[in-house]
Amino acid sequence: MQKQPDGRTPELKKCRVLGPMASIFTSANTGSFRIERPVVDYDKCIKCGICARNCPGNIIEIKKEQKECVEIDYYYCKGCGICANECPQKAIAMVRERGEH
Amino acid sequence: MAYKMLDGNAAAVEAMVLARVKVISAYPITPQSYIAEKLADLVAKGVLDAEYIRVESEHTAMTAATTAQLTGVRAATATSSVGLALMHEVLGMTAGIRMPVVMPVVNRALLSPWSLWCDHSDTMDERDSGWMQFYCQDVQDIIDLMLVAYKTAEHDQVLLPAMVCFDGFFLSHSMQKVDVPEQELVDNFLGEYKRKNLYLDTSDPMFVNDLTPPEDYTEFKYQMKVAMDNALQVAPEVMAEFERSFGRKLSIIEEFQTADADVVLVTLGSMSGTAKQTVLRLREKGLKVGLLRIVLYRPFPFKQIREALKNVKVVGVLDRSSGLGLPGGPVWVEVSCALSGCGAVVKPYIGGLGGRDVPESTIEKIFNELLAIKNQETETHTSWIDTKANAMDIREVLKVV
Amino acid sequence: MLNLKFFGTGGQGVVTAAKIFSTAVSLYEDKYAKTVPAYGHERRNAPVFTDVIMADEPILVNSFVYHPDLVLVMDASIIDKNVDPGAGKHDGTILVLNSENPETLERYKQYGFKEFYYVDGTGIAVETTGVGIPNGSMLGALAATGIVKIESIEKAILDFFSKKAGEKNAEAARRAYARIKKM
Repeated sequence: MQKQPDGRTPELKKCRVLGPMASIFTSANTGSFRIERPVVDYDKCIKCGICARNCPGNIIEIKKEQKECVEIDYYYCKGCGICANECPQKAIAMVRERGEH
Repeated sequence: MAYKMLDGNAAAVEAMVLARVKVISAYPITPQSYIAEKLADLVAKGVLDAEYIRVESEHTAMTAATTAQLTGVRAATATSSVGLALMHEVLGMTAGIRMPVVMPVVNRALLSPWSLWCDHSDTMDERDSGWMQFYCQDVQDIIDLMLVAYKTAEHDQVLLPAMVCFDGFFLSHSMQKVDVPEQELVDNFLGEYKRKNLYLDTSDPMFVNDLTPPEDYTEFKYQMKVAMDNALQVAPEVMAEFERSFGRKLSIIEEFQTADADVVLVTLGSMSGTAKQTVLRLREKGLKVGLLRIVLYRPFPFKQIREALKNVKVVGVLDRSSGLGLPGGPVWVEVSCALSGCGAVVKPYIGGLGGRDVPESTIEKIFNELLAIKNQETETHTSWIDTKANAMDIREVLKVV
Repeated sequence: MLNLKFFGTGGQGVVTAAKIFSTAVSLYEDKYAKTVPAYGHERRNAPVFTDVIMADEPILVNSFVYHPDLVLVMDASIIDKNVDPGAGKHDGTILVLNSENPETLERYKQYGFKEFYYVDGTGIAVETTGVGIPNGSMLGALAATGIVKIESIEKAILDFFSKKAGEKNAEAARRAYARIKKM
């Protein structure tokens, strides 16, 4: 069994392993799939949190104390647009991520 | 002639539709999924008059297809890789109760490492299951060998199921120009499916696949052995009839520039096409190389291979599965056995695993080595022909000391 | 025999373009073509490629293209995503690029292709179909190199799409065929 770290930063050493494995998940940046990005219009937003509850990636957080209360983690957001569709205020626009030249 | 552009999966579907299958039970798996989906689509649209059974696994897919065929219709299913492995138990039943089910198998590597891509380890693991196995070189072959497989499997002297194996992605997803036969010609060639031997009929019940005591088990297996022997006679006859009906020549082994060859490579599947192109190119340089392609791998054409290669000094066999624990893969073992006593040196090669391409350069490397061995210029033999030099060191990770 | 390599990014219809091209050559020009698709971990926006082999006779090879005679780049951004469109090229290799951006053209010039065709296929796609999917227009661009007739491409496009989308994409192909420039 792997030795447990004792609270201090464990000492790491490069070791050869046999067999398929990965220690870094290179496909984690699902935000790179995105073609359109959700952008919130805070003049319309009523902080209801429906966008966060419907996000299939669970990457929207509502911070009610802030004016710009919808925090979207764009590292993971795939741009599916479900938040924009579900928003009762139509306060979320899907904006093109990059111009195709 | 009616040419169509089809990928391998679509060609397999065409063949099943042309054979007028009446029951389908297929479970989707990459790279076979299109077959399961397209058949469902055709049934839903009313284009194909068949019953589609939605199953929860390949184990059930094969059980349903086999038992459906017992009622007296052609049944269809298709699979790949771990799906075929999950069918393993039932494959033996299908063969043992002598149901001539024809199944396209899209070749994909078995785990581990997990792979979606082509090699022959899935079907090689089923080589002794009592199923016949045909291996396709291109998309045209898939339609042609499927039709040949139906007729051979359903022959009175055979009555064994057949897999028509074709390489994942390299054929399943390669779109090629295909001559699709007319329905009427196929109807004449295959004839209507008639139940023979065992069947399920509520008005005339029988108990199929019952527990068999040691007194009879060997004899039932012997019957299957005789059927396999017969298939070696029947398949070439069916192929000759196919040529008369459809104009394309097929054979259970294919000899390509072997007559005067100094060295011959043995292959099966899609890499055979690339190997033929390599042979043509090396012949232009004056090198006497040849190729033997195995089309029908089960039953294994023992005598035909021996006859074809008996005078060749050096033979290489390129297996697309790893044959772990032996110096070479299963095809090498069997070709070596077929050539025992002929005086030929038979060298094993392993390549094209888990989706690795088998380009002309790999084939050329093998031919060069075989020629060097033949001319006694080298003792070197690189059995794992396309393996990276740093094979033992491809993963390094940070670990807690 | 002619070996082609199509580069692009996931979602652009690169694989479909290869299928349409093969159909145009095989069914409407009495030649033979096959696609050799490379499937991986498909993701939108990630670089993808697919190969096509065409010839006057049936093709034996079932292997990827390593030395292309023609390279089609449907998304110029691939060179910023660790893709080398010049890999394996020879003295006569032709490039067809989806871009008219001067900076981009300058960067692609560095690869030293023998012939260099370019057109804003995405722009043409937007003006004809309303969507920036450039496979229809870039097939028209391919016809401009002379390896396939524009009429064959149009017929094959109509085979692949519904009537309305087919006509729009065929129009995109015609416009790219007409507007393409050669450096």
